Amino acid sequence: MDYLYDGSFDGLLTSIYYSYYEQRAQGIYSEASYQFNMFTPSTVIQSDPVLAARVYDAIDRKISVYSLMQIYYVYLSNNTAKENLILKYLQLGFQLGPKIDSIHSHPEVLPIRQTAKKVSFEAERFLGLLRFTDTRNYLYAVLEPDHNILILLADHFADRLAGERFIIHDKKRSLAIICNKKDWYLSDFSEEAAIPDSETEQLYQELWAKYFTGISIENRKNKKLQSHFIPQRYRHNLVEFRKSELL
Amino acid sequence: MSMGTLEKLAVLADGAKYDVSCASSGVNKHNRGGIGNSKSFGICHTWSADGRCVSLLKILLTNYCIYNCNYCVNRNQNDIPRASFTPREVADLTIQFYRRNYIEGLFLSSGIERSPNHTMERIYQVLDILRHEYHFYGYIHVKVIPGADPALVNKTGLLADRMSINIEQPTEQSLKLLAPQKTLPVLFAPMNQIHHQMTQNASERKIFRHVQKFVPAGQSTQMIVGASKDSDLSIIKATETLYNRFQLKRVYYSAYVPVNEGPNLPALSTSPPLLREHRLYQADWLLRFYSFKADEIVNEQSPFLDTDFDPKISWALRNMQLFPLEINQASYEELLRIPGVGVTSAQRIIRQRRLGNISYNHLKKMGVVLKRAKYFITCQGCYYGGIPAESALVRQALTPVAKPVQLCLF
Ligand code: SF4
Repeated sequence: MDYLYDGSFDGLLTSIYYSYYEQRAQGIYSEASYQFNMFTPSTVIQSDPVLAARVYDAIDRKISVYSLMQIYYVYLSNNTAKENLILKYLQLGFQLGPKIDSIHSHPEVLPIRQTAKKVSFEAERFLGLLRFTDTRNYLYAVLEPDHNILILLADHFADRLAGERFIIHDKKRSLAIICNKKDWYLSDFSEEAAIPDSETEQLYQELWAKYFTGISIENRKNKKLQSHFIPQRYRHNLVEFRKSELL
Repeated sequence: MSMGTLEKLAVLADGAKYDVSCASSGVNKHNRGGIGNSKSFGICHTWSADGRCVSLLKILLTNYCIYNCNYCVNRNQNDIPRASFTPREVADLTIQFYRRNYIEGLFLSSGIERSPNHTMERIYQVLDILRHEYHFYGYIHVKVIPGADPALVNKTGLLADRMSINIEQPTEQSLKLLAPQKTLPVLFAPMNQIHHQMTQNASERKIFRHVQKFVPAGQSTQMIVGASKDSDLSIIKATETLYNRFQLKRVYYSAYVPVNEGPNLPALSTSPPLLREHRLYQADWLLRFYSFKADEIVNEQSPFLDTDFDPKISWALRNMQLFPLEINQASYEELLRIPGVGVTSAQRIIRQRRLGNISYNHLKKMGVVLKRAKYFITCQGCYYGGIPAESALVRQALTPVAKPVQLCLF
């Protein structure tokens, strides 16, 4: 039996609950992207916060917080088989308990570690690569990350920019973190904010672009290394690359 | 802030770019009702065309200088465009860049304008505005001006996260030759002061929680590589001394980019010794994280680091009698000495070993670079190197093959 869920983390955990207490899931898929086929029957799982919380606590108690974090990161990834990686990992985890954290090279564990690492790596990268524009009413940033990392950025910027209103907009997924000086929430968001061409804003962008091109040391030029750190696909949202035509 | 700022920024960022200590790591701070915080892992905000991480706004307060250090673009005798920021300009620029998430904080250095005290006082004013007016909790690294009054250094240190004094040359001799107005004792004095105050501050804070932190991210320094004739041995020895004596957090190395002409300097056409700089960083890494001693890395017989191999391989090749080591038995310290095994993979080996024997196939998945490690290990008693574990043979096997040069038709 294939389980189809609504794409939420609660939905995924609910599916895992049913896989243990009702019928074992052959695979778990997001309803939106599921390819129906004639041979495997499927059922749609209603996401249930109470059941999800039970699975969540069970992972925390019987396996570890570390494993919980890891599967959450994998859930945020763009890996198309992520639900099944998580399912298999948890099956092993409930057998082994916290020991699973030490067997890095196991075939059910390694893909989880590698995928989680990609997600946390991208999230960390965007702590630096996000660029805000001052619209006079709030600060506004756009990003198009590979993985669904928006939520991993929220606390960091809410602390850092406390006292500012800001919006961080994932254009690819039409989502945004909206922060009203102190508290933040995640919301659907599709309209791009209108950016006023204020003189001050232009000046700071100019200053930054100038600074950026100026600090590179000519005799040490190494574009390959630069591309390794900032892949092309991130660049059009970065002031310094847009302004200096290094796209 | 006006358009004139653009020109000033161009001049004052240019003068600061040869200083390579730009990391923002080492301190965790929350925002306590102002703007900003700090993450101990350090955050890169962009990478410049030379592939270096940009984390801090790295600028000079002024590039006027009364000193004449041979290797420096800003030296007094050079005829270059000069400019000075006001403390407020620097503070405003920092805050506006920071709000837009261009930067992680400020790295403020300076030429010596008028006198060491005058300059140090202005550096203090920048911090005073940032910390007390803007309530900025982001990262600030400032240069200490050698010769400045200890009281000034002290009050600045209470507002900075990191401070540094660049010694630039590893020996008194080359300092005399290249920076005649500086001496090691003058450079060591503030290092010593900062070290003492940090230690004292740490013990005071154990008793009184409210005591203000003094330079919480510690101090660092930089040495220029290749401006003088000093050997890697002198540099690594000096590094070790600095770590031991002043508990520096980091020693940075900067391959000398020829900016001036002079009888004691390499010719202007010399290219910066990037590979040498890279090897020095690897050696420094061994000192800091792999508990190597300086004289295990270089010695009187071979005072320069091998260019073909990283210093850990060189050391292993000189000490083949210690290998091969059995992966399932070697201690953590021993594992760290195996070429191709890093801190992460050594830790993974230790952890996974508790649950059962590790086979050769596991090692790659644990991040061990077998291409190098295989000559130095056995796994469950088996040796996978394929050739006898003898220094000369292994050296040959590990020597990077020169890429075949494409034949030119014309
Ligand atoms: S004191 Fe500093 S700025 Fe002045 S010449 Fe020497 S190195 Fe350059």
